[in-house]
This record gives sequence, structure tokens and C-alpha cells, in this order.
Amino acid sequence: MPQPSDLICVGAIAGAYGVRGDVRLKSFCAVPEDITAYAPLTDESGTRSFDLELTGTIASGFAARIAGVTTKEAADALRGLRLYAPRDRLPSLPDDEFYHADLIGLDVHDTGGARLGRVTAVQNHGASDLLEIDTGTGRATVLLPFTLAVVPTVDLSARRIVADPPEGLF
Amino acid sequence: MPRSVWKGPFVDAYVLKKAEAARESGRNEVIKIWSRRSTILPQFVGLTFGVYNGQKHIPVNVSEDMIGQKFGEYSPTRTYHGHAADKKAKRK
Repeated sequence: MPQPSDLICVGAIAGAYGVRGDVRLKSFCAVPEDITAYAPLTDESGTRSFDLELTGTIASGFAARIAGVTTKEAADALRGLRLYAPRDRLPSLPDDEFYHADLIGLDVHDTGGARLGRVTAVQNHGASDLLEIDTGTGRATVLLPFTLAVVPTVDLSARRIVADPPEGLF
Repeated sequence: MPRSVWKGPFVDAYVLKKAEAARESGRNEVIKIWSRRSTILPQFVGLTFGVYNGQKHIPVNVSEDMIGQKFGEYSPTRTYHGHAADKKAKRK
């Protein structure tokens, strides 16, 4: 059974769809249809497992059928449930490409070894990916461009990023 | 109605000055600007601007495919983080 720390939230159930036990499914994946590729999904604790199949596209996401859920009441009981996939089920990526889930939580140090903060989010506003860093000083977060020049080292095993931030960021 | 071609692209003068100074100094720095309305020009490629969004300066690395657009397009004033799920970030 996967540990909760190894789980990544990939979707949520928004309620029942129709009267035959189908559910309304919201996908958080980059390609929404990919949510089925990670099935069977689990709840947050990893104890319950859900095997799902998409049955159609609706305005708020997908209509889906979950194995063992055959009535509207059973589907309604799942409303609000977040669906998780084990991290090791995500496909491996080429060099210099990282899952947001892997980057979030990493410690950021400068080239001199001083700690700058911790990654809290990854954003992209159209120019390049940006790491949002909480400096831990209570001030606003800092956005760091995720480029080879600014972030030369990402060490996932040591959970550490080495950054060479441009002047005027920190 | 689109802007007349004979006028050329609009850029606030102080943005041009700051960009030129940064390029001459060759230092690795974020050029803080408040001018969201300025057009991105070819001479800005390779520089990093901090474009104000009303709250803070968002770093914008200018690349060739951004030429002709406005700085404000890359510095949203409202942000929604969403879920990480299987989203990927590429280091360029």
C-alpha cells in the first residue's frame, strides 16, 4: 500500500452524474484524459481503491463510472473525494524536465551554500517556468526563473536546489 | 483600430534606457519595470525583466517568440495555483 507522502492528487469527484451511479469527475492532470492512465486511484490515506472509466465529457469535466458504484446514492456519497495516484506511476521524464510535485518542497540554496528558502509552487505565465520560493521571513514569496542559468542544479535525491539568482530578486 | 505602422511599436522611454544600461553592464540582474503597456522589442531578447503586477515584480525572461507582445501579458494580476498533479516544468 502506498504511503500518503508518495501520493499525488490527480482529481476529485464533484458528485453524481445521472441516476445510474456515474460520477462527475474533475481532472487536475496536464492532459485531463490522462487521469485514467493512473488508475486505480486511491483516497488520501491510500486505503480505498477506485477503478474508473470515463464515459463522457461534460461541462465541468468528465462523467465516469467507478467499479462497484452502481447507484446515485453511492455516487453522491463520494462527492468531494480527492483521488490520488502513487508517484511511481507517473512516467519518467527526460533530463531538465521535472514534475511540479517533485519540485515542491525542495530546499533552495545559493551557490555559496546559504539557504534561500523552500519551493512552494511552480508557475508559468507564458514566459518560462517560475519557482515560487518561501523565504521563511514572513515577507512575500519570491519568484525564481527556472532556467539553466539561474537554477544550475536540481538534486531530487538530496531534495535540494542550487540557485544563482539574478541581482534584485532576494 | 490597430496602431498606425508609421508610429512604430510603443515602448516607455525608461524601459529602453534601463534595458540598454543592463545590456551594457552585462550583469545578471532583473530589470524592474512598471510599464506593462510597453511592447517587447528584439533588443530585449535574453534580458530578464521584473514586470510589476500591482503587487510584486514577476520575472519575465524575454525570448524571440515574445517579440511584439506587451510585457503585461506575462505578468498576470490574478493567479490560480491549481494542483500539481502530473504537470511538468522544463528547465531551458
